[in-house]
Amino acid sequence: MGEPSGATTVAPTGTTVRHPSRPGTEIFARAWAKAVSGTSYLPMTLAQLEALLQRLTEQLATALLAEPIDLRVGHRVGTELVAAHIASAEGLGRTVEVVQLRLARDLGLVDEEVEDRLARLLAAVTTGYARALRDRTLDEQETIRRAAMTARAEAERALRSSEARFRHQATHDPLTDLPNRTLLTERLSAAIDSPTRGAARLGVCFLDLDRFKVVNDSHGHQVGDGLLVAMADRLRRSLDGHLVARLGGDEFVVLVEDTTGTDDVVAVAEAALAAVREPVLVDGHELSVSASIGIVEREVAGTSPGDLMRAADSTLHWAKAAGGARWALYDADRDRRDLARYALSAAIPTALERGEFYLDFQPLTSLRDGRVLGMEALVRWRHPELGVLRPDSFIGLAEETGLIVPLGGWVLAEACRQAESWAVGGGPAPFVSVNLAVRQVRRAALVQEVRALLRHTGLSPERLQLEITESTMMSTAEESVRTLRMLADLGVRIAIDDFGTGYCNLAYLRDLPVTELKVAGQFVAGLRAPEARADERILASLVSLAHALDLTVTAEGVETAGQAERLRAIGCDAGQGWHFGRPDSAERILARLR
Amino acid sequence: MQRPVWAPDEIDIERPSVARMYDYYLGGSHNFAVDRAAAQAMVAAVPEAPLMAQANRAFLRRAVQFLLDAGVRQFLDVGSGIPTVGNVHEIAQRDAPDARVVYVDVDPVAVAHSREILEGNDRAVVVQEDLRHPERIVAHPDVRRLLDFDQPIAVMIVAVLHFVPDDDRPAELLRTLREALTPGSYLVLSQASGDGRGDDERADAERVYRRTDNPLWIRSRSELTVLFDGFELVDPGVVWVPQWRPESPDSAEDAERAAFIGGVGRLGG
Repeated sequence: MGEPSGATTVAPTGTTVRHPSRPGTEIFARAWAKAVSGTSYLPMTLAQLEALLQRLTEQLATALLAEPIDLRVGHRVGTELVAAHIASAEGLGRTVEVVQLRLARDLGLVDEEVEDRLARLLAAVTTGYARALRDRTLDEQETIRRAAMTARAEAERALRSSEARFRHQATHDPLTDLPNRTLLTERLSAAIDSPTRGAARLGVCFLDLDRFKVVNDSHGHQVGDGLLVAMADRLRRSLDGHLVARLGGDEFVVLVEDTTGTDDVVAVAEAALAAVREPVLVDGHELSVSASIGIVEREVAGTSPGDLMRAADSTLHWAKAAGGARWALYDADRDRRDLARYALSAAIPTALERGEFYLDFQPLTSLRDGRVLGMEALVRWRHPELGVLRPDSFIGLAEETGLIVPLGGWVLAEACRQAESWAVGGGPAPFVSVNLAVRQVRRAALVQEVRALLRHTGLSPERLQLEITESTMMSTAEESVRTLRMLADLGVRIAIDDFGTGYCNLAYLRDLPVTELKVAGQFVAGLRAPEARADERILASLVSLAHALDLTVTAEGVETAGQAERLRAIGCDAGQGWHFGRPDSAERILARLR
Repeated sequence: MQRPVWAPDEIDIERPSVARMYDYYLGGSHNFAVDRAAAQAMVAAVPEAPLMAQANRAFLRRAVQFLLDAGVRQFLDVGSGIPTVGNVHEIAQRDAPDARVVYVDVDPVAVAHSREILEGNDRAVVVQEDLRHPERIVAHPDVRRLLDFDQPIAVMIVAVLHFVPDDDRPAELLRTLREALTPGSYLVLSQASGDGRGDDERADAERVYRRTDNPLWIRSRSELTVLFDGFELVDPGVVWVPQWRPESPDSAEDAERAAFIGGVGRLGG
């Protein structure tokens, strides 16, 4: 291979270069290599460096001898040096030095012109070198700036996506991936604070699954969660375009923006109910569920997310109270009434402290001789703003909230206190009859309290009658039955109030120490019509049943003399109602009797 | 303000980067004014700094050459920095085009730069990861895609360990890497050494690097030797880097001026 006068070496770039064996080039190339090694990092072995510089030396020698001198070779050599990373200031200095000092001599050139030519060639080498170095520097600067920009852009993208991820986590429910309360509130606020043009109204559907707890209790929480996920998917799909949020538990809210009226939201609610109604398979269980929805649709102006959600929540409770599997529409009047009731129940404890409650009494009159056998205590509330309130406007609330316990306790104590001093000329003093709520009967301390009360007031036990409703009896546990028995053992009378309106399970009449049945006024009301034979027969049967069991019977709601007469004819023991006297203070009733 | 844990690191080019300072020592222009200022401060403290970088780079080249001769075709270069002149894939793939190289660096700018350089090279890739999380490195999908851990791999941790203080438990980090390797694999380590240097010089150098995210933690020859635990050191063991298999005897002269010690270990068994 090769020409007789040449040799081949492998340059670092891997290309094979032929070069003539010009005497002196190898010596010079070695000196050059020695001069530049160490001036910068060279990514090659010393042998590779020497081979490279040998080739460049050949080019320089050729250029030096050519006529005319080819300065482009000088440029090229300078460029190649930089490309080979002999690219430091020191590298250039050493190169200039070694070429100046040795090149001509090592090549054996003694021509007078050679000095001039060498100077011109060296100028070309340094020019090419400086240009290449400058270009390289600029390129590298550009590269690193680009890298910094890329890295920064990536970091920002990563930041944004992690922020987005964080934001998603903060605004979505992990179970169903639906928007959570935070996002719903944000969207609600946005819709209210900055309504888009023309979007003057909006609505929400507050949805709650009916009897979801039963699913959880009977199939476990995993199935419950599976059901929630399935319901979330359905709501999302069927209510496309509306924000469906999960507030927690089995509560979902659909935000319906830009409505034109109630119908828009009702349509959404019906779609939601239909979506929920389809049976769903969860973990092998086919579940059929229904939902209740409270709907609020109103003008954006003047409302707030809090108002809207509270109204929807109340409305949902109406739908639930009406039996579920339906929607209910917000009704401001009803809501106001609810709120008023709530306010009223909240005021009961203070009213007790301030002595705003008082008792009226209604006589229980013997149908045989017209004597007043007893008087039923009826609580009144002298409300500072609302005036005198009848029990039906607050007892229900007190029972719901549990305030019936202190209130009922007060009534019992007050009734006993007053009854102790009752006396009617000649005959025995009437007993006092006090209603007990189920919560009172369930309290273990009741017997103790009654005993203390009797001792404290001096009222004899047989002059106290406790009225419990039939439904109280039915819902009363074994323990309460024992309580009643102990009360009866004290000598206290036990009456069943509203008899005939409950389940009418007669078994308890056998087991309980009941002394009296009070027959609900609705049977008595029927006695007004001459042809109402059924009520009369029921009453007659009740009376004979009671008498067979040694119980007395008092008929409630007696309003006319005719009714009283017929009840007497049936054999009923006593009557209570307007016919015998309206509720009034004990003093006035007793005064009338004297 | 404390950055939340979910926030990725931000890019701070107002702070000198050790990778770009190293590039400056090597005569490169892949650096910013802040890097040059720090590097110049280092040169003022330790005038041989550029020489040290060059000597270390030459060690890297000779080590890669040695590994190629030993038949290794897979390289995992952890802490690769700015992969400019004489980087591993250039050296390795010139002689062995089938050689596969994975670069790992924690510096996002260095990684972005590497990515640009490696574009179109399907046998080299860069991964942004920290030597302090070796388990993440060996499990990284790009690492697994390019490297076959059933075949020998050369793990190169060159001029990096002096940024890993003992508190970061370098021995454990290296053990995690070692346990991922098959026998016949290699470990190449080099780092700055304080042996033979005055306290003032060390203190000055450490002061410069406190400006970066990577304070300096120099080690003695014996301390570095210990980190080859589990590997058999090939001749001549842990030495001043110019003394490690020099090309010519005179290139190993004044070797301690290089201030870098290094060695290569082979995983036996």
